[in-house]
Amino acid sequence: MPEGHTKELARYGRWLLRSAGPLFRVAIGNAEGVLLWPAEADSALGEALGACLDGPLITDCMRKVPVADGAAYAHPAKLPDGSGDGWLIALPSLDPAPREIDLDALADAMDDVAAAMSDASRLNAEMDLLATELAERYEELHLVYDIDRHLANQDLGNEVLQGLLQSCAEQLNADVACFVRPADNLTISAAHLSKPIHNLDLVLVEMRGDLFRFVSSSRATVVMNGMDDSRRPYILTDMPYKVLACPVFQGLEMPAMLTLLNHQSKPDFSNSDRRLGEVMAHQIANVMRMQGMFAEMRRFTEQMAAALIEAVEAKDPYTRGHSERVHHLSMRLGQALRLRSEEMDNLHWGSLLHDVGKIGIPDAVLCKPGRLTADEFTFIKVHPERSYEILRHVERLKGAIDGARHHQEKFDGSGYPHGLRGSSIPILARIIAVADTYDSITSSRAYRAGSTHEAAVTEMQRVSGTQLDPELLDVFLRVCEDDPGLLMRLGVRREWDDH
Amino acid sequence: MKRLLVVDDEPHVARVLRVSLVKDGWSVEVACNGHEALQAIATNPPDVMITDIQMPGMGGEELCRQLRSTPPARPFPILVMTSMTARDQRSWAQELGGIEFLEKPVSPRRVAAILTQLIAREKNNA
Repeated sequence: MPEGHTKELARYGRWLLRSAGPLFRVAIGNAEGVLLWPAEADSALGEALGACLDGPLITDCMRKVPVADGAAYAHPAKLPDGSGDGWLIALPSLDPAPREIDLDALADAMDDVAAAMSDASRLNAEMDLLATELAERYEELHLVYDIDRHLANQDLGNEVLQGLLQSCAEQLNADVACFVRPADNLTISAAHLSKPIHNLDLVLVEMRGDLFRFVSSSRATVVMNGMDDSRRPYILTDMPYKVLACPVFQGLEMPAMLTLLNHQSKPDFSNSDRRLGEVMAHQIANVMRMQGMFAEMRRFTEQMAAALIEAVEAKDPYTRGHSERVHHLSMRLGQALRLRSEEMDNLHWGSLLHDVGKIGIPDAVLCKPGRLTADEFTFIKVHPERSYEILRHVERLKGAIDGARHHQEKFDGSGYPHGLRGSSIPILARIIAVADTYDSITSSRAYRAGSTHEAAVTEMQRVSGTQLDPELLDVFLRVCEDDPGLLMRLGVRREWDDH
Repeated sequence: MKRLLVVDDEPHVARVLRVSLVKDGWSVEVACNGHEALQAIATNPPDVMITDIQMPGMGGEELCRQLRSTPPARPFPILVMTSMTARDQRSWAQELGGIEFLEKPVSPRRVAAILTQLIAREKNNA
């Protein structure tokens, strides 16, 4: 018995001793006949405790218990630690033997102590109940903390779901936590195995079928602990696991499900597990909703950008596809240079929108076949700065603007609009310049057919170091060499095409 | 039955651990500070001890130091409860060695899982 309870019991024992008076020895025992107080063994008191139920009731509650040396008195009492029933025992001392025992007084004393003990027992039981409740709240709190941590640290790819499932498996101490969305053939799972599961892949596949259909038709959490559960043959065949499956709703639809599996040797899934599972399913629903919104935002942004590009290219049909191709080549260069993902994002938009400023150039100049006059060329030279003026209104594109604004700068400082040179030209702009130059040479224009790849390479090598960054050009040429299919996809002519 | 000694001056922590762990077959004793814990250990050493750090009288750090300098007849694993924010205050325990950490607020399930692991490890070492 825990320390605290022993002390508490001793207090009741001493109280009973004082109230019963000097003529009695007293004890407290449990229903199994074990003496709990006093600590020292006492055979006479032990004997009385063992025989409590044999004695007849002599007051409402008190029994007179026959023992070897006469009689003891016993009164039922709740043990104050809430562990169950017990007895208060009073044994008249033999020396000096009491002539007359005031049974009413003894019964009153026993009643009082028993009532106090019963109150304490009830309070203790209530506290335990509250503590159990608190323990479950702690679990929820932990899970929510974890969910919060995952959602705060990452963007909303499926890695977030993976992380959430891992937390879920660990927090709920489940062997497997798994998310299935059959419409997309998507299964994400995390394991926290107490024992191996050899055919985990098969198990996961099976969940996408009948279990999902069952949960989706019942639209409620399904708990199956028993292996003899009557639903089992219809839902899961050959899967000797305990199952907790929670629906994940999106509005009225149930596109997905969260499932926890446990080996048979684990404890049953409890109501608290069920509630935690539902909390988790709810959070996953939120993640999915956010993923949907995120994807929609992305689509919207891309479509807006496409509309802008369309506006530029509508002015000059010969540049159709130019922005796309420059974008494609720039991204390949960026990958080869292992740019950080943030830089890649800037390159993505910068390269797509690099010519947006051409919207401001008069059609007569932009589409003029043949050489431009100096005045006309001034119009052309304005376009990167125009790109900047258009794009600066979009906060999201802040990091991308420099790429568009400076893609006409030349490595030796002779370019426009600012005459920057060398490494003072932003790296994204230098990348776009390489891609832009290549596409301008290889694609057809109003006044000429596109050159071959080989001709473009020769021309670009000629201007390496004056117009283009030589290091970037080398990387670009390597990319082209490593992936000849790239040029084919872009529709670039090759030297041998002409023969 | 495995015996756990919880040393914490906040009764609710001990009670939450007790009601949750009793279900897994643990018997849980409670001490309010280092002194009480040492008494309890002297009379009947537990299988595992979980202790808080800040307590009136003798705190968790002093308790662990005393247990290291005069080890009980049958040594037992020690878990120290710390707050998540106080990660930097763990160096003393790392110096003493063989002490594991539990982050507050403790999740009874996690505690149960950790205790099971600890006992299994002890068994393997024995």
